[in-house]
Amino acid sequence: MISIKNLHAKVEDKPILKGLNLDIKPGEVHAIMGPNGAGKSTLGNVLAGRDGYEVTEGSVVMNGKEMLELEAEERAREGLFLAFQYPVEIPGVSNLEFLKASVDAVREHQGKPALDSVNFLKTAREKIKSVNLDQSFLKRGVNEGFSGGEKKRNELMQMMMLEPQLCILDETDSGLDIDALQVVANGVNAMRDPNRSFIVVTHYQRLLDYIVPDYVHVLADGKIVKSGGKELALELEEKGYGWLENGEA
Amino acid sequence: MNDVVNPAAAELPNQEIHQQIRKEYAAGFISEIESDTLPPGLNEDVVRFISAKKGEPEWMTEWRLKAYRAWLEMVEPDWAHLRYEKPDFQALSYYSAPKSMADGPKSLDEVDPKLLETYDKLGIPLHEQLALAGVAVDAVFDSVSVATTFRDKLAEAGVIFMPISEAVHKHPELVKKYLGTVVPQRDNFYAALNSAVFSDGSFVYIPKGTRCPMELSTYFRINEAKTGQFERTLIICDEGAYVSYLEGCTAPMRDENQLHAAVVELIALDDAEIKYSTVQNWYPGDEEGKGGIYNFVTKRAVAHTNAKISWTQVETGSAVTWKYPSCILKGDNAVGEFYSVALTNNYQQADTGTKMIHLGKNTRSTIISKGISAGKSQNAYRGLVRMNPNAEGARNYTQCDSLLIGDQCGAHTFPYIESRHPSAVVEHEATTSTVSDDQLFLCRQRGIDTEKAVSMIVNGFCKEVFKELPMEFAVEAGKLLEISLEGSVG
Amino acid sequence: MSTVFQTQQLAALNASNGWLTAINEAGKAAFAEAQWPSRKTEAWKYCSLKALADHAFDAAATASTTAEQLAEITQIAGLDAYQLVLVNGQLQAELSSAMALSQVSLFSGADAEQQTLIADRLQQARLQPGHHLFNDLNDAALADGVLVQIGKNSRLDKPLQLVSISTGDNHVVNSRVIVVLETGAELTLIEQFASLANDSSFTNNQTEVLVGDNARFNHYRLNLMESDARFIGTTLVDLQRDANYDSFHLGLGSVLTRNDLIVNHNVGGSHAEIAGVYVPKDSQLVDFHTDIEHRVAHCTSNEVFRGIINDQAKAVFNGRIHIHKDAQKTLAELSNKNLLLTNKAEINTKPELEIYADDVKCAHGATVAQLDNKARFYLQSRGIGEQEAQVMLSFGFINELLDGLKVEAIGDWLRPVLAHRFGRDQVFSAEQTGDL
Repeated sequence: MISIKNLHAKVEDKPILKGLNLDIKPGEVHAIMGPNGAGKSTLGNVLAGRDGYEVTEGSVVMNGKEMLELEAEERAREGLFLAFQYPVEIPGVSNLEFLKASVDAVREHQGKPALDSVNFLKTAREKIKSVNLDQSFLKRGVNEGFSGGEKKRNELMQMMMLEPQLCILDETDSGLDIDALQVVANGVNAMRDPNRSFIVVTHYQRLLDYIVPDYVHVLADGKIVKSGGKELALELEEKGYGWLENGEA
Repeated sequence: MNDVVNPAAAELPNQEIHQQIRKEYAAGFISEIESDTLPPGLNEDVVRFISAKKGEPEWMTEWRLKAYRAWLEMVEPDWAHLRYEKPDFQALSYYSAPKSMADGPKSLDEVDPKLLETYDKLGIPLHEQLALAGVAVDAVFDSVSVATTFRDKLAEAGVIFMPISEAVHKHPELVKKYLGTVVPQRDNFYAALNSAVFSDGSFVYIPKGTRCPMELSTYFRINEAKTGQFERTLIICDEGAYVSYLEGCTAPMRDENQLHAAVVELIALDDAEIKYSTVQNWYPGDEEGKGGIYNFVTKRAVAHTNAKISWTQVETGSAVTWKYPSCILKGDNAVGEFYSVALTNNYQQADTGTKMIHLGKNTRSTIISKGISAGKSQNAYRGLVRMNPNAEGARNYTQCDSLLIGDQCGAHTFPYIESRHPSAVVEHEATTSTVSDDQLFLCRQRGIDTEKAVSMIVNGFCKEVFKELPMEFAVEAGKLLEISLEGSVG
Repeated sequence: MSTVFQTQQLAALNASNGWLTAINEAGKAAFAEAQWPSRKTEAWKYCSLKALADHAFDAAATASTTAEQLAEITQIAGLDAYQLVLVNGQLQAELSSAMALSQVSLFSGADAEQQTLIADRLQQARLQPGHHLFNDLNDAALADGVLVQIGKNSRLDKPLQLVSISTGDNHVVNSRVIVVLETGAELTLIEQFASLANDSSFTNNQTEVLVGDNARFNHYRLNLMESDARFIGTTLVDLQRDANYDSFHLGLGSVLTRNDLIVNHNVGGSHAEIAGVYVPKDSQLVDFHTDIEHRVAHCTSNEVFRGIINDQAKAVFNGRIHIHKDAQKTLAELSNKNLLLTNKAEINTKPELEIYADDVKCAHGATVAQLDNKARFYLQSRGIGEQEAQVMLSFGFINELLDGLKVEAIGDWLRPVLAHRFGRDQVFSAEQTGDL
């Protein structure tokens, strides 16, 4: 599905990622954990192609295509989805209008027929219901005045509409209470599919009780310093990150 | 929300707006039409020539000459936030008409096919069977009206809709009674010039208690080079009557600046309502700021007791805009509204806004102004809200927002508030915002390219104004903004 | 066409004042050329100068004052300050404890270094936006002034109170103050302008302040003159890196009270907090013109002015925020609220934004309204008379700003002055209408 090799990236001339390697096969869920400042959010932004994140070395190949050569919107159309840690508000642009533009662009790129307005609306209403948001959220400005939890659920809803190949969840659990966390986790689990992969970036082990990963990686100082199965997350919860940073790994 | 048949269509009002991206000023073509064009220059003889060309009665000629003499004494205003080379008024031609129109307006069947073709190309078919259902059009080409559609149907309702040059002959009593009552000949430099040399424009009279059965519309086209267009519009809505009027404008792409100095007068008598919408798409000049229309327009309305005036404008064109559609709220309980989107890109400059003059008791006004600046353009809102000593219980609410795209442009706000009544309430708010990188990245991450993202955000910013436009114009307006913002981001 | 004022003032100018000659001459040349402002002059559109134009002022001041009168004007209860008192432009040594400070001196006593500093500041002032003919006149007539210099990382242990009084005469005083705060310095300055009843003098004041890097300047500018006094004042503030300007402006009202405030954010990181109140009555005119110039990135400003206009008085507020091209990340807000108490009173307000940078947050708001009827009814329903309710609510409208003053003694001192003003005015108008 996606193969990240020797990825180096800088933000404002400061090296953040320093040779990151990761291979993900279709249907796998990989969790990436790590202390603050390890480069967790940078990874999501670099993969999604955000301006200001300069890749200095390495490659990211998804389904045989080099992602680093593509614009952000082209990567999205190839099926790469980033659920943001802090989704931005876009006043004046309704959620529905935004979704329609997004779904149209992605489907067109993938050679799928455009959804007509009636079907689109029907699907959007189902999905928004499935993330426990009121229908009125479709008409509101994108994320405008949404609570933290509502924004995260709105991200999930967009993910469901776009049916991406690779989903990157950037600290989707931060700031959520248990109930909201369950809604998000259920949504993600419902989307697990032999052809879809996930990168779940999180600071806390709690999320992984609900979204059970196939692999857990520890990111520290811009590199993967330890990899293991889901039990690694529990170990990290118990011991913290200190033992890794101290070079014992 | 009202119940609607197709909920999807209702909830996605802007989808059509985003369907296509055109790459240049689509109305910029030149029509090869033989014209009678007066040589450049302005003097009393030119004024007399224009008057004679229209076969005007003596009183009309004198009215023009009075304006011309006043104009000679006046100086071109320079208080606006605009920088441009002042036009040489002696280098302009003050009259140009297609040769085929020499004998005045004819029936549609007789109009030169090339003229009809021009309007077809602009998306304004003048053949009634092809025309937008429910919209009557007066098409003004350079200095003359070439066709007015649906006149018979309107006549059945008692509505008069014709070129003003014709109204001078057919309804002199109405023209005499109202012309220049809202914008006097010596009101300002450009209004005086217009009063002296105006060549054509639309005249509308809606009789007492009549609701005009269709939208009325005038479409202005400047074609000839080095010509000024000076049209004059006069709309009278008698007691209890209603009309919705639309105005559209385009011009070819030419390297030199062309002058457009129009005057629009609206009179809403007791209990009447006039809704006046403009989508202004004059040629804005090229990316280096070369060419484009100078748009110096005086628009003003008088609202009598319980009457209502609503101005809605979407301004994307013109190299330089100087325009303040205003309301004199003369009668008690009169209502004035001004909804505006003014977009400037490249080297365009706009100084536009409104005046709300509250004279009567319990008069109300609302001003919603949305300015969008991109490229190297300058965009200023200039407004006046005046509460006179008799404006007991009057209210104004003004909201004035600016959106800046890029760090080379300017957005300015100059609201004048004058209040002389203790019970009058004036509220003014202004904000500025920008299109942020975070917003654009969110859109791109969802597969929406930058240009489209900007267009969505800009349309969202303008929503409150677009919803005031008649349906067909709202779509047109959205498309215009999109085209006008081409290449301004990223 | 020259006014009597222009002709008379021009004739009265002395050719030179020693080392100030260059500035005198520059001012004189410009003043001689100046057009008298009319309604078409944007900066004076609503500000009638008829109280000056054809008024012949006397050349010299002759009236005298008693020590009691001066004490009553200059004492702010509860305020311990260094004082400097000028009567008709003349220093009152016995009332001026501040003259003992090394940080305070007169232009006439300036050493060579100070002369250079003063000349430089005067020259800078001529280049400021909004420079007008009364600034030219001030330069032309300049013979002396007050210089306050606070050294690096130091401060005065008490506020400095500068009082200018005109005393029942009919003459012109051109006054000048220059304040320089060096890096890390702090100063609280109270500028107080007063006059005796029936004094119809014209005070033309100009105060220039340079607030150095990381310095803090607290400024109170109080126009407390009587009705016949004519006042035109300009305050120029230059803010250097991380400088802080906190100010309060009061215009009580007179036949002509005009104040221009220009604040320049010059380097970055500076903040300006500006509050003001105007309360003209009878046929008075108060005009505040403020201009916040954001010339560089990362500066902030917050401005709040409130006015209550009574009788047939007139108030003008023009609040301009100018964001220059490089002033990204600016945060600027302005609010102006007004109450008209009668149907002869008049307010003209214009909050202006001029913006040439995109990544900024600017907002302004202006309102004109009458007192909240619900609030008034609420008070009346508790047995408070209509007149009194109006006084209470009017006072509350401006008291909010007094409550925010850092030098509490000034708020405490002004509160009864303003309360009395409203109270008395209400009784006065009640008498007129026969309600009493």
